[in-house]
Amino acid sequence: MNLLANPVVANVAKSTLAFAILIAVWQVVGQLTQVPEHIFPLPSKIAEVFVRTFPSQVHHLAATGFATVCGLALALVVGVLLAITVIYFASIKGAVLTVLAAFNSIPKIAVAPLFVIWFGLGIESKILLAFLLAIFPVFVNSVTGLGEIEKDMLDLSKISGGNEWRIFTKVRLMHALPYIADSLKVAFPLALVGAIVGEFIGGNRGIGYLILSAQFNMDTALVFAALLSITIFTTAGVGVVVLFEHLFLNWRPSQRAT
Amino acid sequence: MLTPLSEVPVEAKDLCKSFRNVLALQDVSLTVHDRQFVTIVGPSGCGKSTLLRLISGLIPPTSGEVLVRGTPVSAPIIGVGMVFQSPVLMPWRTALDNILFVAEMRGEAGGKYRDRALELIELAGLAGFEQKRPHELSGGMQQRVAICRALLLNPPLILMDEPFGALDVITRERMGFELEKIWNVTKTTVIFVTHSISESVLLSDRIIVMSARPGRIVETFEVDLPRPRGRELLSHPAFVRLSADVRACIENASASAI
Repeated sequence: MNLLANPVVANVAKSTLAFAILIAVWQVVGQLTQVPEHIFPLPSKIAEVFVRTFPSQVHHLAATGFATVCGLALALVVGVLLAITVIYFASIKGAVLTVLAAFNSIPKIAVAPLFVIWFGLGIESKILLAFLLAIFPVFVNSVTGLGEIEKDMLDLSKISGGNEWRIFTKVRLMHALPYIADSLKVAFPLALVGAIVGEFIGGNRGIGYLILSAQFNMDTALVFAALLSITIFTTAGVGVVVLFEHLFLNWRPSQRAT
Repeated sequence: MLTPLSEVPVEAKDLCKSFRNVLALQDVSLTVHDRQFVTIVGPSGCGKSTLLRLISGLIPPTSGEVLVRGTPVSAPIIGVGMVFQSPVLMPWRTALDNILFVAEMRGEAGGKYRDRALELIELAGLAGFEQKRPHELSGGMQQRVAICRALLLNPPLILMDEPFGALDVITRERMGFELEKIWNVTKTTVIFVTHSISESVLLSDRIIVMSARPGRIVETFEVDLPRPRGRELLSHPAFVRLSADVRACIENASASAI
């Protein structure tokens, strides 16, 4: 009882219970209605396939995960650098924002085949797709976080003798960290979409490839098992960001102990 | 950079400032002597804050000039202490680190000033709160942290822009007494903007009354009440008389403008 009084434990317990109920209902209803396995497999079947194909899941997830994390890291670096450029060269801000908005309005998925032509079937085209999908939220949030500093705070920094570099590292960047962390929570699943679409289009490794080949064999349970792998991966990735916030951004209103 | 302990008479000569053709300040001339506490009072929107920003060099005058130690001010004067209406604390820094911020902006290690900061914390009645983040402090405490920050490097001049304006009446009065107490120890040259008459009489050596927009200096009062000034001063006949004079002066100035 005391353990459940802890809000974190209570939250985890509630979510687990909700999942358990959902899966139990799925299992029972599936068994009663006798839906064919190749249409909608039972949770027990998916679990069995997941365990059986575990080594191959890890093999493919490693490729997808690598492309996702590389694309995300690239998006983080380029997005923040681009935001810094826009903040410090205010005159080009309008132009850069317009060009980026125009680029962002192109459905990146639609140009994926182009990347295969340009960069081949290897990991490069996947990383690039992941990068392109992830960069926009990182950039937009970085511009807000780096730019929207209280005027009084900047005046105080200037009058205290702060040069651009010190103001950047001790004021702007610190102010931007929560915005950037937030953007990563959105950008991470987007980067994953990029990597998987890249694998759909070509290549012989990755969760996207696994799903496609399972679909080809009508192995629906394997498709679901692959989805389970991705879900675990995304949850872990977002979990890392949340952990970072908890450890280093604990001054944020949302992170404060109540 | 200004060196502490040297004489810092601030002199403003025929300052005018317009914003988009609206005249905010008109022919303001004043002299502040070393180690004097000068208060600028006037109705809201009379350009008191603008005057402070002009003196600090954060904004340039439309005409006229500001001289600090005989040198015309053309850029933000590095090393002036500033206190704003809001505390302008960094939420990611503890009270102590917020105070050390001004040293870091100068490019010095904050740790060098740790003892000095702790002394100020003690003086401001914040002992025990040095490791708290701003959100864990009350409004009055946050403003005291801001005052400590302004005092850290023994600045030759401190500009205070309605520092108690956002506090409730009771806290505000207490903060007035606290600041008087602190000032008796530090004896820094202060230019203090307020619209509270009792605050101005309690704190100042000199009170400058400004008219409604466009701001002009209408009258100057010398305050030679003995220091330290405690609560008993509030009922002192000289205090009451001076407060009435200042009030009458402000009312005249506002009435003529309407």
